[in-house]
Amino acid sequence: MADLAPPARRLPTGAISAALVAATVLAVVLVPLFVPLDEQAVDLGSKLRPPSWSHPFGTDEVGRDLLLRSVYGLRVSLLVGAVAALVATVIGTAVGALAGALGGWADRVVMRVVDLFSSVPHLLLGIFVVAMFRPGVGPVIASIAVTHWLSTARIVRAEMLSLRSRPFVDAAVSGGSSRLRIAVRHLLPGVLPQAGLAAVLMVPHAIWHESALSFLGLGLPTHQASLGNMVQAARGSLLAGDWWPTLFPGLFIIVPTLAVAALAAAWRERLSPRRRSELTL
Amino acid sequence: MLELRGITAGYEPRRPVVRDASLTVAAGESVGLLGPSGCGKSTLARVAALLHRPDAGTVTLDGEPVRGWRHRAPREQRTAFGVVFQQPRMSADPRLRLHDLIAEPLRATGRRAEAPDRVRELAAATGLTADLLTRRPHEVSDGQLQRACLARALVLRPRWLVCDEMTAMLDASTTAALVAVVEDYRRETGAGLLAVGHDPVLLDRWCDRTVRWREVQEVQEAQQVQQVQASQKEALR
Amino acid sequence: MRGDRAIAAVTDATFRLHRGECLALIGESGCGKSVLASALLGLLPGNARTEGHAWLGSGEADEARLDLLAADERTLSRTVRGRRIGLIPQSPAAHLTPVRTVRSQLRETLRELTGRRDGEEAAAERAAFPADHLDRHPHQLSGGLAQRAATALALVGDAPLLLADEPTTGLDRELVDRTVDELRRQVDRGHTLLMITHDLAAAGRIADRVAVMYAGRIVEIADAEAFFGEPGPRHPYARGLLDALPERAFTPIPGMPPELGDLPAGCAFAPRCPRAADACATVPPLADGVACHHPRSDRA
Repeated sequence: MADLAPPARRLPTGAISAALVAATVLAVVLVPLFVPLDEQAVDLGSKLRPPSWSHPFGTDEVGRDLLLRSVYGLRVSLLVGAVAALVATVIGTAVGALAGALGGWADRVVMRVVDLFSSVPHLLLGIFVVAMFRPGVGPVIASIAVTHWLSTARIVRAEMLSLRSRPFVDAAVSGGSSRLRIAVRHLLPGVLPQAGLAAVLMVPHAIWHESALSFLGLGLPTHQASLGNMVQAARGSLLAGDWWPTLFPGLFIIVPTLAVAALAAAWRERLSPRRRSELTL
Repeated sequence: MLELRGITAGYEPRRPVVRDASLTVAAGESVGLLGPSGCGKSTLARVAALLHRPDAGTVTLDGEPVRGWRHRAPREQRTAFGVVFQQPRMSADPRLRLHDLIAEPLRATGRRAEAPDRVRELAAATGLTADLLTRRPHEVSDGQLQRACLARALVLRPRWLVCDEMTAMLDASTTAALVAVVEDYRRETGAGLLAVGHDPVLLDRWCDRTVRWREVQEVQEAQQVQQVQASQKEALR
Repeated sequence: MRGDRAIAAVTDATFRLHRGECLALIGESGCGKSVLASALLGLLPGNARTEGHAWLGSGEADEARLDLLAADERTLSRTVRGRRIGLIPQSPAAHLTPVRTVRSQLRETLRELTGRRDGEEAAAERAAFPADHLDRHPHQLSGGLAQRAATALALVGDAPLLLADEPTTGLDRELVDRTVDELRRQVDRGHTLLMITHDLAAAGRIADRVAVMYAGRIVEIADAEAFFGEPGPRHPYARGLLDALPERAFTPIPGMPPELGDLPAGCAFAPRCPRAADACATVPPLADGVACHHPRSDRA
């Protein structure tokens, strides 16, 4: 038996990232059930302790345990990121589907609105939205959602238009299907996997946005444990050479978001299996 | 009677792919439309099946002038046509199992109850097994999928069939099998057929008469100059 | 089909291709003929496995004789593809680089395979590609000219063996005839051609010999003249294929080809065969050019 080309051993990035994401979700769900966090509690006697067995991530400038605060911060960030991504995807899918299913002048009007939104830098637009409200989770989600549905709308619309020109839509017209039935039964299900992928890809981006807004002092209330707030608060101690209050919350922003992104990439590969070089019969 | 007169049609303004084409198919007649690829014959077939609105010209269906295309055509007119296209992969919703693919027109027109019997009947006629009916398009071959697409075209018992290069992707045996299904159906119902293709041997064997693309466009030139001018005016409008 | 099942797409394919002849490998789509072609070029995907030998060379005494199935990727890419085997692809439009002119693609291939820095005109000429179209991009060419451009590229390395995988798919009848006539000219100039096709008319026009494939096995190998003319094919499947042509009886073979992952025991064609009998419960070996327990030996 001659092996033409032995299958290359690839790093199972999909499995690794799935495990990381699962661990993250488990941690942020389970830890708060057993270990409560008192947001106001300070212990000035043990402030800015480097990592040790009792405080693996060290303590911050008012003596709070950084590991626990990081987990709570990640929880807030994930929640904000996921909800914001979901809302943005729902808006984007609805707008894109409307434009793609109707076509003609309706499509042109909708897409000009999308262009209008795109012409404003989205962080600026997001800052404008949060600035109108008192700091809190709701305004941050709203700020991220209203600035991030544009690309989803474009993807969904393009996918709808491409599906609409397929002969199977012609066949449905001859088969007596109404416009609504074609949109709901044939077009929308075809774009949902793409929209779902866009949503997952958006979660890391939304987390970064939440962190950025909080870092700028425009996001969540400063007493709340959020990764952005923590990095912001740690700036002073970093200048003094205390690296741990910046490093660990920073890693908590980077690692889970990369894992989610890798998971989304693995999903995308599944959506277009033809890219993989495997013999399918 | 299906009558197309002075049809000009295309996809971009002022760049028609069909100019002044005319074609008549009598009730129960089968006509082959022969032309090289890219000549516009598929566009003409879509105009005939009420799937593409022409820029100019008239279509008369059983004595009634057609006033609207696609969803602007009344449902009875749209469903009078069964259409089969060249590429079965593009003509089938990838998520529907073959059974649902064939039954879809019945469900869309509120005749869900007839579906089980009608699908069984058509599956037998097109040679699809019960196992194949439970699969999705990517799990069957081109030939098997085209059999399902033909069954779908016949499910509402159309009075007209439009087959646009139905067999271009298929091997000789599947071609002969599908043509036999179409002819059995026509014998049983008296439906008319417009078969578009590029293989003269096939169309001559299949159809009552074969029209060359050239002739389709020349008929118009032979007609009164007035009519030509009228349709050109309409095209410019 | 997904999963871990191993599927034999091609089984026991044995044939010999003589210098300067054209062998047409015909069969329905999905019968395994393209898998065979990919195996010969070492282009099977990573999860594929092969057994057997594919000798490229003039005979056992030939020192340059090479087993294509055992050769490594480096040997195949450096000495075989383009140099000893030229591939004429199924869809030339997809094979040509869309953003570069035909001339620049020919020039690159020439430099790569022959080291020469000129000769695009001569290379184009050999495939009857018009010299005044050399500076066009693939999308500016008609289907026929794109096919000629792809053929010109395949001929650059002057490979003795040409492999054409469904070169006429989707072309009009006239264009099919022109394409196969041009391929035939290459054979007449001394090239050996293996043409894989489901188009029987094209095969009849070009081939010296015909191999018919069914469910991954070669069921008949015959002289093309005898196959398409008198006495005709001997295997019932091959006969059924010819009878399905609109210029002949236009009657289909009953049923559908089996799936390669779910072949019936014994002769794979038996369930569709009018001559099937008890003997067909065993797989017939390819003997005397036909693999059938009841080959047709006369005109009866």
